[in-house]
Amino acid sequence: MNPRAAARGFVLLAIAIAVAALLRVAIGPAASDDGMRLAFGVPAGEILGLRAQSVLSAALLGGALGLSGLALQVLLRNPLASPFVLGVSSGAGFGVALVLALAWSLSIPAVAFGGEVAGAIVGALSALALVAWFGRAREAHDPTTLVLAGVIIGSIFSAGTMLLEQLIPYGLRGDLLAWMAGRLPELPTQAALWTLAIFAAAGLCIMWLHAHALDVATLSDDEAVSTGVRLHRLRATLFVIGGLLAAVAVAYAGPIGFVGLIAPHLARKLVGPRHADLVPAAALAGAALLVGADALRQVIDLGTGRLPVGVVTALAGGPTFLWLLRNGRWAR
Amino acid sequence: MTATPLIRAAGVGLRFGEIVALADASIEIREGEIWAIVGANGCGKSSLLRVLAALESPARTQGTVTYARKEPLAAQRAFVPQRPEVGAAFSARDVVRLGRFAVGRDDAAVVRALGEVGLLHRAEIAFAALSGGERQRVAIARAFAQVDRGGVLLLDEPFSGIDPAEVARIAGALRARARRGAVVLSLHDPGLARAIATHAAILRGGRITESGAAEVILTTANLSAAYAHPMRNLGGWIVPELDGGR
Repeated sequence: MNPRAAARGFVLLAIAIAVAALLRVAIGPAASDDGMRLAFGVPAGEILGLRAQSVLSAALLGGALGLSGLALQVLLRNPLASPFVLGVSSGAGFGVALVLALAWSLSIPAVAFGGEVAGAIVGALSALALVAWFGRAREAHDPTTLVLAGVIIGSIFSAGTMLLEQLIPYGLRGDLLAWMAGRLPELPTQAALWTLAIFAAAGLCIMWLHAHALDVATLSDDEAVSTGVRLHRLRATLFVIGGLLAAVAVAYAGPIGFVGLIAPHLARKLVGPRHADLVPAAALAGAALLVGADALRQVIDLGTGRLPVGVVTALAGGPTFLWLLRNGRWAR
Repeated sequence: MTATPLIRAAGVGLRFGEIVALADASIEIREGEIWAIVGANGCGKSSLLRVLAALESPARTQGTVTYARKEPLAAQRAFVPQRPEVGAAFSARDVVRLGRFAVGRDDAAVVRALGEVGLLHRAEIAFAALSGGERQRVAIARAFAQVDRGGVLLLDEPFSGIDPAEVARIAGALRARARRGAVVLSLHDPGLARAIATHAAILRGGRITESGAAEVILTTANLSAAYAHPMRNLGGWIVPELDGGR
């Protein structure tokens, strides 16, 4: 793809984010905002500011998920890879649930975001290591085997999370259940937002600095090494970035599916395959998708409160994944 | 010949646990030479190429491989596998450009390499949309661009699954390139090896049994022993005797 076409892709992404952000700020249901004002004591004049903060929150989260998905797709040479599909989100979720269960058993009244992040990181990297190990067929990571390994390991971690949930008293499960559905925090703490922003920015910078090596890593292993790429070091970097970004995202909002899978594919369509463009574009595409999903859930009123954003991304992303699988679009 | 070898391998070997893929192999590759590595399936051809290309972990290898020049390895040798892969929608030009990763961007070298393999007119076509033979030529051009200042090209079965016209184009490009470097390629077809190579090494059971000038080494007797099957000379082309006679 020539530079002009890539620039056009970036403009489209910027427009998509701007439109989604405007919708999110403009169309929140008034009743919910009244509820928010009553529940949290927020003056009506600050509602727009809070909605703008929600846009920032969703954009950072979507950016982190987009980058995580891209890192995992390059790491495993697998266009079907993403934190959700590979069970990394489930691993991170198990880690967070374990921290919460331990806190309850030790009678610790509240767990700091840092504690949840630590649990999520251990869980995410454990899941990723298990998937990479079990999914390794001979010398190569076969896409289908990896996805199958991810589904099974994700199921095991999800079952572990549900087991932990049973250990927590019934009245205290509500938060955990809501978090497991993938829910953007209504009033994120500054610490949580900053943590997410720092991890996303660091992931973006490190991956962008490795952009040329990521291009070469699309060749076979032997060709990449022959060309001069330190493949083991690059893969270790991608492993850490992919796992950490997924972990922080899960600790922040619970497992949110398919953004990490779809965002890199969308970015490739818009800006082409070169990672110098693809890395920032995957982050922007993730941001656009999640801000868009957050805006969409504002207009879906089932009379029982807003849908968790994870439900919206799964309902939209699941069929997209199946379409990619059916048409073999992931192969290009 | 007295020129300093571009690559000198002395007593090299490769083991996978108890399995010995290559043992005590010594070979010197000089500028202008085209080496054909021939032998039966599993005899160690690919292992020898990979050890020469320094693609194997030192923990698995024995012996020493020495490169002539004091510059990064990527500028001294390039490896092309039997089936080149590109897991992204890159054009032919993009793929060739990847060869310059460790040796510095040089668009003139990329154009030169595409011209050498006769694909300059297909430079903007997606790699995935090219024929098998054209993909092989793009991969070779990537290697050409990588060692543009002269070096050793190591190719594993470059003619596998390629039609005769593409074989001729690739062979022509390799012979031209050998004038300012060297080429080492593993081959299954001994007739083709004799047509292309200046030198040959025959491998059997992971060991080099014969090596030297191609016309001396690639004889029906040596090749019959290498393949454990009678070979015969058919108008200058060495071919296997068909089971059950003609």
